[in-house]
Amino acid sequence: MSAARWRDPALLLLALAGLAALVAALDPRLSRVVALRDLVFVVDVTRSMNVRDMDLGEGAISRLDAVRAELPRVIANLPCGSRAGLGVFTERRSLTFIEPVEVCENYVPLSAAIDALDWRMAWEGDSMIVRGLHHALDRARQLDADLVFLTDGHEAPPPPFAGQPAYGDAATPVRGAILGVGGATPMPIPRFDRDGREVGFYRPEDVQQSPRRIGKPPPDAASRPGFHPRNNPYGEADLSGEEHLSTLRGAYLHDLARTSNLGYVAMSEGVSSVASAFARATRSRAEVRKVSVAAFPAGLALAALALGYAARVFMDRRQQGH
Amino acid sequence: MITLDHPLVLLLLPLALVPLLVPLLPARAQPALGAADAGRAGRGLGPTLRVLGAVAIAALVAGLAGPWWGRASQVRVGTGAHLALVIDRSLSMNDSFAGRTPDGQNESKAAAAKRLLTDFVHRRPHDRMAVVGFSTAPMLLLPMTDHKPAVEAAIAAIDEPGLSKTDVGRALAMAFSLFDDSSEDAARAIVLVSDGAGIVPREVQEALLPMAARQGASLYWLYLRTRGAKGIFQPPAPGEPDTAQARPERHLNLFLKRLGVPYRAFEAEDPEGVAQAIAEIDKLEAKPLLYREEGPRRPLGSLLFGLATAAIIALLAARLLDRPLPPLPRGALILEDDA
Repeated sequence: MSAARWRDPALLLLALAGLAALVAALDPRLSRVVALRDLVFVVDVTRSMNVRDMDLGEGAISRLDAVRAELPRVIANLPCGSRAGLGVFTERRSLTFIEPVEVCENYVPLSAAIDALDWRMAWEGDSMIVRGLHHALDRARQLDADLVFLTDGHEAPPPPFAGQPAYGDAATPVRGAILGVGGATPMPIPRFDRDGREVGFYRPEDVQQSPRRIGKPPPDAASRPGFHPRNNPYGEADLSGEEHLSTLRGAYLHDLARTSNLGYVAMSEGVSSVASAFARATRSRAEVRKVSVAAFPAGLALAALALGYAARVFMDRRQQGH
Repeated sequence: MITLDHPLVLLLLPLALVPLLVPLLPARAQPALGAADAGRAGRGLGPTLRVLGAVAIAALVAGLAGPWWGRASQVRVGTGAHLALVIDRSLSMNDSFAGRTPDGQNESKAAAAKRLLTDFVHRRPHDRMAVVGFSTAPMLLLPMTDHKPAVEAAIAAIDEPGLSKTDVGRALAMAFSLFDDSSEDAARAIVLVSDGAGIVPREVQEALLPMAARQGASLYWLYLRTRGAKGIFQPPAPGEPDTAQARPERHLNLFLKRLGVPYRAFEAEDPEGVAQAIAEIDKLEAKPLLYREEGPRRPLGSLLFGLATAAIIALLAARLLDRPLPPLPRGALILEDDA
């Protein structure tokens, strides 16, 4: 049994495989720093979320259905130990359903609660997104979590000329992200009757086309048709407009996110883009965790063993070729 | 029962066939003339080594698939029920029992309900629970689950400032719809917590009657009575109108009695009253209940990697001990070892 015997590559590989398998059997563990996040997901359930312009591969579905399908995947993508809460937005405020809970242990109830989201939960028809966002930010701060606000950005009634209020409390930066949901093409908004049956779509005259009459009128109000200093200081004659159709107002939400110190990403960009937006825009808690790395030496052992047999075949061929 | 974390890794399992086809020990260029004389003990060695190689590879692949052994979840008998908590989220729940904004001395009705319901959930480890909120519309805050942290998190959210109205009828309809077929054997109960009542429209009443009859859930109404508000049991004074509009709480109570399910109403005027009512519900809803318990999880990876190690060491030993047969004394045949 001399040293020369070890020149046989198959034998060397076998020895390597044995060593690696032994290491794997000892179940080595490394400590790894995991970035945990505490997020409150607030889902817009206003009527524009019923627009069927999302496609997850099985035909057109509504924005809310897309959220119901995608949000569990977003949550599943968070590392165990992260916490997720759930709420809805409509009118001008949010309502918390579930305060943040650990995501892995509670994944089943969380995804069931997401699946139960329904436009019928909306307690009023308005969709004042900026006010709802501010309310949700306050709420997230109380819960000591970051906000993820899922919306299509369709304000109803339309935002006023004078612009929207900024988020008041800049001193305490609650972070978070806006997740845009919807498509780029204007699509009609389904309309439901009192008993929740779909009865067609909103027509131009069914919705308020003119901006909210709050704050300053536009500077060129006097030159607008229908202007009257007392009766119509905003100069509106607009019974036409596109407010009965809905798109994802990405640019609007992007601006809103920027001024509110939030991140923005469209949900259609996929779970990994959403995760990287969370990484940029939300706070994380670092937790050191022992992670089993036995798979690496085990994989090495397997590879060495397979190579050993391959080397044997190769060498036998060569010998026979002589 | 064995479960795999990464079952797709098993696609590598055919690799284990390789050792059966290819011997790891070198084929000799020269046939060993003495092989025929080799001891019988050596005869079986070849196939054994092949099998060892196959075992090593199979064990490594199986270990990489992340197997763990856990007893299949066992069905046990405990006491408990399937409960739907139906919680009023109207704005008045955030006032104290005196009907005022809570100051440091007293807590709001919602906060009291939250505290006491959280205790209640703690005391009932085997229940499955769902949480329904209602104001203008009923909202399924949390579908039926046995994950207590989620139930507690949903209850924790109920003292958030609420919404406007009290649509109790449709909330009850939602609660009745939550009991699925899987809960057929279990006791079912709905616990309605509210500080007021709305009018239950006739069509909702008509829908509720067959639902209640079908689901057979018992019903508890915990009425958080604000000081000065009229009680649910108090008959109207002579001359006072006795309509659902004037006395919605009294009329809701009358309607719930007509539902034909076991029904009890509790009127609580302070947190102690709420605690008593909840303790009473806790006692009444303690019926035998089948529940599942997950066994502990034991990972099997190390065991399989150990097996692979043993097999490889045996192969190594065989290879290192594998000496060519001693040169036979006759003839000029020279066998060079390690040439």
